Amino acid sequence: MTAAAEPQALPRRRVSPLTRAWAFVRRHTLTVFGVLALVYLMLPIAVVIAFSFNDPAGTFNYTWEGFTTKHWTNPFGPIGLGDAVEASIKVALLATIVSVILGTLIALALVRYHFRGRGATNLLIFIPLTAPEIVLGASLLTLFLYLGTALGFWTIVIAHIMFCISFVVVTVRARLVGFDRHVEEAAMDLGANEFVTFFRITLPLIAPGILAGGLLAFSLSIDDFVITNFNAGTTITFPLYVWGAAKLGVPPEVNVIGTMIFGIAILLMLANTLLQWRRNPKGAA
Amino acid sequence: MKDPFERMNHPMTRQQLLRRAAAGGFTLSLPGLLAACGGGGAIGGQQANTGATTVEQVLADEITVSNWCCYMDKKSGRYPTIDQFTEQTGVKVKYLEDIDSNEQLFGKIQAPLSRGQSIDRDIIVPTAWLAARLKRLGYVQKLDQSAIPNKVNLEDSLAHPAWDPNREYGLPWQTYITGVGYDPDKVGGEITSVEQLLDPALKGKVTLLNSMEDTAGLFLLEMGVDPTGEIDPAAFDEVCAKLKQAFDDGQIRQFTGNAYTGPLAKGDSWAAIAWSGDINYLKPDNPNLTFAIPDAGGMTSVDTMVIPTGGDVYTASTYMNYYYDPKVMAQVEAGIFYISPVKGTREEVAKIDPELAENPLVFPPPEVRDNLYEFSAEAIEDPDFQEKWQAVILG
Amino acid sequence: MSFLHRHRWLTPYLLLAPGIAFLLVFFVVPLGFLGHTSLREGTVQTGYVFNWAWDNYSKAFSEYQEQFLRSLQYAGISTVLALLISYPLTYWIAFRGGRWKNLLLLCIIAPFFVTYLIRTLAWQNILSDDGFVVSVLQTLGLVPDDGRILATSTAVIAGITYNFLPFMALPLYVSLEQIDKSLIEAAKDLYASSTKTFLRVTLPLSAPGVIAGTLLTFIPAAGDFINAELLGTPNQSMIGNVIQSKFLVLTDYGQAAALSVILMAVILVLIVVYTRVLGTERMAG
Repeated sequence: MTAAAEPQALPRRRVSPLTRAWAFVRRHTLTVFGVLALVYLMLPIAVVIAFSFNDPAGTFNYTWEGFTTKHWTNPFGPIGLGDAVEASIKVALLATIVSVILGTLIALALVRYHFRGRGATNLLIFIPLTAPEIVLGASLLTLFLYLGTALGFWTIVIAHIMFCISFVVVTVRARLVGFDRHVEEAAMDLGANEFVTFFRITLPLIAPGILAGGLLAFSLSIDDFVITNFNAGTTITFPLYVWGAAKLGVPPEVNVIGTMIFGIAILLMLANTLLQWRRNPKGAA
Repeated sequence: MKDPFERMNHPMTRQQLLRRAAAGGFTLSLPGLLAACGGGGAIGGQQANTGATTVEQVLADEITVSNWCCYMDKKSGRYPTIDQFTEQTGVKVKYLEDIDSNEQLFGKIQAPLSRGQSIDRDIIVPTAWLAARLKRLGYVQKLDQSAIPNKVNLEDSLAHPAWDPNREYGLPWQTYITGVGYDPDKVGGEITSVEQLLDPALKGKVTLLNSMEDTAGLFLLEMGVDPTGEIDPAAFDEVCAKLKQAFDDGQIRQFTGNAYTGPLAKGDSWAAIAWSGDINYLKPDNPNLTFAIPDAGGMTSVDTMVIPTGGDVYTASTYMNYYYDPKVMAQVEAGIFYISPVKGTREEVAKIDPELAENPLVFPPPEVRDNLYEFSAEAIEDPDFQEKWQAVILG
Repeated sequence: MSFLHRHRWLTPYLLLAPGIAFLLVFFVVPLGFLGHTSLREGTVQTGYVFNWAWDNYSKAFSEYQEQFLRSLQYAGISTVLALLISYPLTYWIAFRGGRWKNLLLLCIIAPFFVTYLIRTLAWQNILSDDGFVVSVLQTLGLVPDDGRILATSTAVIAGITYNFLPFMALPLYVSLEQIDKSLIEAAKDLYASSTKTFLRVTLPLSAPGVIAGTLLTFIPAAGDFINAELLGTPNQSMIGNVIQSKFLVLTDYGQAAALSVILMAVILVLIVVYTRVLGTERMAG
């Protein structure tokens, strides 16, 4: 190629259709894979929702036999299901409230203060997050057995608070870390004491984090099976009911309740995301 | 609206805030701690239950009954006889089908009962050997005989078991037969012996019950060994080895409790060691299913209603009395197809369902009864046998 | 008030007190009881006696070695599978997601909101012998005509992979999302191909996410028993199944506690590895 005085267009490579096709595939493989993966993730959910409308002849809800909405109009038909759901909700509410309070306090301490034992505290928060539930549940059971506590509603609540605290700490902490302390300083400069500052400035600003932590705690509590199984005695929560029913034929009403819980959780998450997006349209994570 | 700055004039100090937060945290944990202080002592041990039935003959508002699956007549999700009971007496019944196996039941209730704590159940229905154990440990209360006039209807053959000669602690709910439930089309013929369950043609399509008295019993009978009295440990070992081998080979899909019904109904299993009445319960899911007592003999026992510590004796006794009316029991039988402990049931059943009255699984004639055996309770309680059996079913 | 001003150092401890106290009493102390129980011997009938029953441990190794190894094996395979599925998926969302990032992320988390047991039961339905999936696989020849997927290790591993996928996907996503896009641009400017960019830039930068996801998936998966119970047979029983049955059915508390302690010890080792690699501050979010 001779060196040219004017810029010359680079010669175009002859692109065979095969290469073009391959490029197309390569470009879109990822998308296809992504979509397939999402389908895979959603498949069981679709099955659960679909079979909540099934009308099984016998006790087992495995083959599609007919469409009906009667399970939706009377979701608490099966005996014991209503009580189980009620117990689950009560436990979840209590556990959420307590773990949010305790967890937020811990998060505040961790983010804002330097103190000795920080590493140990971090470890103490971290281990329940990753430890297998079976160990958490079993160890708590040995405590209760030793003390002779009656296993039941309150032992379940205690167990749930125990594992929810860590999750709340993590969530609130994430929010606190990005928190601009200048606002607080400004408030204090204007004469507010720490208490007022906390309640009128800090708390509202970290509220989304607390809310997210609370949501997380609530859904974990409603869903928990392993730890509850160990500490429930003869009390039955919704997941325990499902476990018992799994052996004998799960009634479609369970699918209905499952779908409802799923739906509410999604709505709350969307609402939370929307709220955050409104506060910060640049799309904060 | 209040002046927002008013708060600044009467602020709670940070100190107070933190104190309150701490107090709040502790207060909420307090009930749990208080409850924890309520007990005390080591795990296990036994507490004698004097069976004090302070007979204040007042009906409770609600009782809770724990039973096995498929043991109560059911129609569109409700239990007609229970609803009738509530109508007659005003007592609500929380009827739970949460017993899957005797071992699992005992595991759940042992800890609280050993400390004299209630298990939130007024009636539970263990199999006879477990009922005997519960009585021995003092975990059950005496029935209120004055509330059970219908007790005279109890079949003579069931009136004086060794563990409770005067039926003071429990009343039979149902007698059951253990045999083989199977789908003749899938299996390709009749099943007359449990050996056929080990036929490679059925590989992976067979489930066995995890209860020693059912599964080991049937296989011992097949070997010609009598499981009702003292069982030769060598024979038991042989059965255990055979079953373990079959399981390791993949012949046995699973050892199950009552949960064998699912795979059988779905078609995931073709043959199972099963209880006589369940097959009927499964017919709507799979009309082909049938039940057979092996030629070598079937196992039987009596599931017994007992009142655990903390249960309401008078109301529970009233409930039992209600079911000892042949008319009521007939309704139940028409739904569950087990063997009634109540005299006169057959005549009542003939009025509802004449064909059922002739069903040899529900009203067994003498020649069938003679081929049914009850597994030795001593063998079940023998720790060696228990350990060997656990090794088989836990894989 | 002035007391606290003078003793500012007290503040974090006061904040921490309730939560940490709760965790100490209901998380740390029970672990101690677990250890204590593991050295007891006895049955329900005879009562339990603390007698330094070290043979609980030797029995654990000799008799239940199979289940331990199987748990590690299943958890390991599931973790790898989860990584293989999650990485392209989260890469796709992080790099090609654009406006839809949050929505797609929600799709990954959404299945999490259906009760664990119900999700697994849905798989029981989907993978049933006469079901659609098995029929397709039989046609494709991947499954023999008289074979099955349910009640095999394949089903159990598939279940574990599915149920713990979010644990892998979320840390991966966070780490991929945080990669400075300008670094990728720089690589491209230097004429690196997409593959090279990925291997030399993206992959190493996402390593913390991979490590975090791997540990967060492997650890709970190793202690799981629900998938083995619902989708498998006792031939697939994991250590979780043994612990659960020993505690709740056989009431062999000593042995069960010993098994739990061993499991916890293994997990703690892994957690220590994790904290060494990432540092204690990066823990807990």
